Amino acid sequence: MRRQLCMIGASTVLLTLLMVSGAVAQDADPALQDVIVEDTQDPSFRTGKLLRCPVCQGMPIAESPADMAQAMMARVREMHEQGQSQDEILQYFVDRYGEWVLLEPRTEGFNLLVWLLPPIFLLGGIFLVLRYARRSVDGALGQNEDTGAEDAYIKAVREEVDW
Amino acid sequence: MNWKILGVGALVVVPLLMILASGFGNDPHAIPFLLNGKPAPDFALKNLEQETVSLAALKGKPVVINFWSTWCEPCKTEHETLQRGSVAFGDRVQFLGVIYQDGAGAAQQYLASRSNHYPQLIDPKSLVALDYGVSGVPETYFIDANGRVHHKTAGAVTPGLLIQAVNGMLEGAAQ
Repeated sequence: MRRQLCMIGASTVLLTLLMVSGAVAQDADPALQDVIVEDTQDPSFRTGKLLRCPVCQGMPIAESPADMAQAMMARVREMHEQGQSQDEILQYFVDRYGEWVLLEPRTEGFNLLVWLLPPIFLLGGIFLVLRYARRSVDGALGQNEDTGAEDAYIKAVREEVDW
Repeated sequence: MNWKILGVGALVVVPLLMILASGFGNDPHAIPFLLNGKPAPDFALKNLEQETVSLAALKGKPVVINFWSTWCEPCKTEHETLQRGSVAFGDRVQFLGVIYQDGAGAAQQYLASRSNHYPQLIDPKSLVALDYGVSGVPETYFIDANGRVHHKTAGAVTPGLLIQAVNGMLEGAAQ
């Protein structure tokens, strides 16, 4: 039971860490970093980083060379020049392409699970691992005494059997 | 049977399975169609003859808007279907083509060797395509006589699909 709980906990921690590291790795692609010229001062670029390219897999429109992405970036710039806020611009694209077009899910409704589940699983897994570790230490101390008694028993049986 | 292990496992696995199952039947690559039943975004674009065509001016008549490109193979497949549909439905329905991320010259060259019975519009900066939520070509939008988006097709339009969609709009207008 304890070992099985520990395995569940360790697996949960490992899976959570793998998922998180995978998400981080996407941003750390060295090939892309050589090409992208980031202008974080440009509000249009910041908005473009939040919108998904409909053609390229998982790329923001600010970094995608696809014609459709460039058209979307042009629209973003136009809307910024018209004085529209980032939220209004994002909503414009959500109204046409759905929540799918946002690279970061909004923290509301069903999307809350995306943000809440990983830390819950991580903490739960750590809890199970620590619990098993503590019980293992307690169990080991008790087992040494049992081993001594067991050894005496086995010794007695052997003496009786050996002839 | 260790019921405690089973219980803990079920507590973790069942909610995860329910979340995953909620996605069954959905195409992960499909972009949602959000304009269904909503007023069609208005536009005023120039055709290949540099004449302005406005969607607002066509209200009162069903409109079929086809986004296409010369570099798109399914667009070539559906071209004759749409052309024949335009002829068959005549004045009852207005067909419009919107050239998507392509040059006017390439479109003219393409149409020179094919039939063309309705206006082909140039969409600079793809602003109209963005307004309609177009993610690729071909995409065809069916606008009813009240100016509302009735239906959308992604991919080549077949004769059966075209007839069904247009008749649906015409029957709706008759009621």
